Amino acid sequence: MERLFCDPRRCVGCRACEIACAVEHTPSKDLFRSVLGGELGPPRRRVQTVGAEPYRVAIGGVALSLSCHHCDPAPCVDACITGAMHKENGQTLCDTEKCVGCWMCVMSCPYGAITPRVKALKCDLCPDRRGRTGRSRYACVEACPTEALFAGTFEEFQRVLAEPIKAVWEGAQ
Amino acid sequence: MTERYVIIGASAAGSSAAETLRRHAPKAQVTVVSDEKITYSKPLLSYYLAGHLGEEQLFFRAPDFYERYGIQRIHARAVGLRPEKSTVELSDGQKLQYDKLLLATGAAPRFPKIEGIRREGVFGLRKLEDAQGILARLPSTKRAVVLGGGLVGLKAAAALKERGLSVTVLVDSPHVLSQMLDESSARIFEKIFEQNGVTIYTKAKPVAVLGTQHIEGVQLASGEVFECDVVVVGKGVDPRLELLEGTPIRKDYGVLVDDYLRTSVENIYAAGDVAQARDVLRGEPWINALWPCAVEQGRVAALNMLGRAMSYRGSMRMNSVQFFGVPVISAGLAVLTPGPLGGRPGEHDETLESRPAPGIYRKIFLKDETIVGFVLVGDVQAAGVLRILMERRVNVAPIKEELLELGPDLGRVLPLIVEHKERFVEREFQELVQTVGV
Repeated sequence: MERLFCDPRRCVGCRACEIACAVEHTPSKDLFRSVLGGELGPPRRRVQTVGAEPYRVAIGGVALSLSCHHCDPAPCVDACITGAMHKENGQTLCDTEKCVGCWMCVMSCPYGAITPRVKALKCDLCPDRRGRTGRSRYACVEACPTEALFAGTFEEFQRVLAEPIKAVWEGAQ
Repeated sequence: MTERYVIIGASAAGSSAAETLRRHAPKAQVTVVSDEKITYSKPLLSYYLAGHLGEEQLFFRAPDFYERYGIQRIHARAVGLRPEKSTVELSDGQKLQYDKLLLATGAAPRFPKIEGIRREGVFGLRKLEDAQGILARLPSTKRAVVLGGGLVGLKAAAALKERGLSVTVLVDSPHVLSQMLDESSARIFEKIFEQNGVTIYTKAKPVAVLGTQHIEGVQLASGEVFECDVVVVGKGVDPRLELLEGTPIRKDYGVLVDDYLRTSVENIYAAGDVAQARDVLRGEPWINALWPCAVEQGRVAALNMLGRAMSYRGSMRMNSVQFFGVPVISAGLAVLTPGPLGGRPGEHDETLESRPAPGIYRKIFLKDETIVGFVLVGDVQAAGVLRILMERRVNVAPIKEELLELGPDLGRVLPLIVEHKERFVEREFQELVQTVGV
């Protein structure tokens, strides 16, 4: 199954993915309207600083953009008392109609990837974005200016990690 | 020959086991026996009582779940178990032959042994019929007394308050939620309940439910009487062990199971609120009667019934709840005041505490630089990350100063996970370790 990964060597912590994610999850899906119209909710992906001193240097990266890993089995699905949180074609999704906000999933997710905001909000792999034009069908991947975010299997991502890091402009013709 | 799997109980553990069995053994015969007509989510009953959810919203599985999965669901009570013959007798006279049996009988509310406790108008809040019984009385009810200041008691109290009743909660312990919170965190919720018009009396010892035809009140040892028309009991639950009678299945407080969720008798497994299984914090088998634990145990038990040796990692004391819009998540034994069911003395040697903003309270308990408990009130997003650090016993000394400000940041703790990567065997953690390792 295709999942999202972040290459810590490329992530500069600009948070473009966060805003793209937040906008994607508004009714208008429009940056201008989302911000000025007060539609904007929390992003389901967050740029995080990896480690505190003295680790930052040792790890060699600065930031990492993280969201739901779509685990299997998923602790949040086990924890859900309503059946809102469920697996569908390998994805971990929350049916917000069913969610009652008990936060059992928040307690159970070891990655801190669920945002409790009346309903449990999490990465849903942009279901309404299919078919729209763009570089990627995921809002965060498309928004990433350094191409740190990657959509694919972990095996494919490992091949990316095995490559020496190249600047984006070096790859362009 | 087709394997015959029989599951007694159709709630969290039973359903999860049935689903797992079916998924991995498409041809096996899977039978679920339940003394309840429909499968619904018990933790949602307080939402139903409050009027937030209708009856049709209590299903945690699609109503056609059993049909769709080809699982036979029998509405009857299991009344007899004969391990030597591998049979279960049902209340309707049927005898079921099993190859593998799962006991997922759950638990029943514990009623205090006081005068009048079995009077009509005294309810637990464990079954749909309890909630329906309370609701049916609402038109003629003005005042309710709730016995017990635990999770169920307080959820019932909040629900009845929302229904417009005058509600009094009588709590034995010195503070509410004594199985979930330390005193200072519990006081926050006592205040929230008071602000919302629910009266709470701690250290209250009820001795009798008064009334003749109808319930008239609850009397305390002091002689004081709280007048009411309905009584709801939320004093905890006891595992349902009736079926074990006359069998050699080992039990303690619940059914004792090993790390493969096997009971002491061959081919019989147990999961959920009835099973006393590994507890990662206590170092002795315990029942953490909690939805997520029951679902996981149901799945692990089913995998073992299928012959796929799968070790159960163990559960821990934790809980999440929201009262009047204020969420709280707590985990660990150190949070609890030492006592027979609570924490043990010396459980922690340091506490970190902060009130970063109005309505937000955080407290973390440490022992030898390892998290042994925490309480998050108001802002709970960091709970999962704190919990996994606690569960995997990670030394947090390098980030101790930041723990209270952690927020949901997994990134902050990733170096510790990398350092202890052998404890984070899940595929997703291993992927993260590899990702930051480049």
